[in-house]
Amino acid sequence: MSVIRDFDCVVKHSEQVLPGVVKIVFDCAGIASVALPGQFVQIEPSPGAFPVTRRPITINRLTENGFELLFDVIGPGTELMARMKPGDEVRILGPLGCGWTVEPGSSWLLIGGGLGAAGFQFLMDTVDSTTVLIGASDSDRVIPLGACHVVTEDGSAGGRGLVTALISEELLAGADSIAVCGPVAMMEAVWSTIPEKYRDKVQISTESRMGCGWGVCDGCSIPVSGGGYKKCCKEGPVFSGIEIDWKRWKEAGL
Amino acid sequence: MSFPPAIPREFWGHNFDSPVMLASGTAGFGEELLDLQCLSGVGAVVSKAVTFEPRAGNPPPRLLETPFGLLNSIGLANPGVYHVLKHILPVAAGLPCPLLINVAGESVDEFADVVRVLEGSSAHMGYEINVSCPNVAEGGAAFGVDPQVVLRVAQGVSRVTDRPFSVKLTPNGGDMVQSAEAAVEGGASAITVCNTFLGMHINWQDGKSVIKRKVAGYTSPALLPLVVAKVWQVSNAVSVPVISSGGVSRGDDVLQLLAAGAQMVQVGTRLMRRPFAAAELIDEMKKLTGE
Repeated sequence: MSVIRDFDCVVKHSEQVLPGVVKIVFDCAGIASVALPGQFVQIEPSPGAFPVTRRPITINRLTENGFELLFDVIGPGTELMARMKPGDEVRILGPLGCGWTVEPGSSWLLIGGGLGAAGFQFLMDTVDSTTVLIGASDSDRVIPLGACHVVTEDGSAGGRGLVTALISEELLAGADSIAVCGPVAMMEAVWSTIPEKYRDKVQISTESRMGCGWGVCDGCSIPVSGGGYKKCCKEGPVFSGIEIDWKRWKEAGL
Repeated sequence: MSFPPAIPREFWGHNFDSPVMLASGTAGFGEELLDLQCLSGVGAVVSKAVTFEPRAGNPPPRLLETPFGLLNSIGLANPGVYHVLKHILPVAAGLPCPLLINVAGESVDEFADVVRVLEGSSAHMGYEINVSCPNVAEGGAAFGVDPQVVLRVAQGVSRVTDRPFSVKLTPNGGDMVQSAEAAVEGGASAITVCNTFLGMHINWQDGKSVIKRKVAGYTSPALLPLVVAKVWQVSNAVSVPVISSGGVSRGDDVLQLLAAGAQMVQVGTRLMRRPFAAAELIDEMKKLTGE
């Protein structure tokens, strides 16, 4: 692992893109110049003592002189982040973790569930060819991406149904790599839908309650095949689908 | 002692560059921090706990943040003493500061068994004996709550090493002063005050704990006064140095713990927020004392 650096990043832009979903653009060439798709940053929600940990957020895309984060406002930490204003200086550690394994010239099938699709933009901007399938509960949970196929559970955006209905043998066979990111139950449903012969192409972006974000506290364990654990923050957050012990992961209720 | 406290530069007869230690479980074995170049200001690293056999650790979720602190239930995850000896300590030998190895066990004998194996390395200066884990062989209560058990653990370790060791006590039950006195009688060269406080989070909706082991270890900057009180009590009772552990997030906190009688001060949860916490604490202390 290389040196990690803690940067004072400046908020350039902040807006609510969907109800309860905020986008912040930070100026920080130090992170942007080395970040890879699927990596994340650890952001300090406040300069005070609380909350005691940072918030790990996947880099949604790179911008001219920095990067963009897209996140759900779900608790005290993200509520503080939602109040960040242009010009604010924020301490951000990163980039962290191992992102998507990208082979040159590969074509990708991206399967996202709700806010799990945040982060796909960086991958779409990096690889040559992508087909994107998005499933969400309703139109308020469909994040703006480029061309993609959308379904919602209530039919308020795209067709009505679950993202698994969009997965076809043709799409699976045509892709060199398959990226999946979303809630654990959605990813498990996708994994079960994919026939065994295509499973070695599948990469899963995980998330976990995280302490440090850089591999020392052993707090963010993801159950892996064979009985042990791997660190979401350092050995992940992206794992190959066959590495994950799906049964134990589901039991964890993360 | 004089006030304000001088910033100590010596511990166990060695010169330490800093009184700030990285607490067990928040710094791996130090070797990862070496890669990350965040050991500036670190007086010593205390490794994560080592047990005789490998331990996968507890099922996730292992962490839960609360409004004012952090619950952890890591479960002493570690690759076992032989793996540590062969594969990790040779790398950790390159640390620019002393290393203490935190040792845990499920029986009184296991502590000495682990230390005996680790004696095969010269990478570390000494040990921190974690008597907060449950004494599985004798009913499951933490070793540290019973001074007689603490005495036996310390005596066992003394028999197999000449290196200094600190006994890290639990705040959960028992009389910490009595346990500290027993540890010193058994040969401990320091007392670490103290391990995490027992904590729990219950979902009122279904009565369940998010953490699978139900109760967990609680850490927080809000624990500072509790740790200050225990450091003050123990340091007044024993002749060996006291290492504080818990509650530190500012240079001011380190100075207060030194004033309470600590000779070294561990920082833990703060590292989750600030990987470079040790250097930041030292800078803050220097500003406050004008040193």
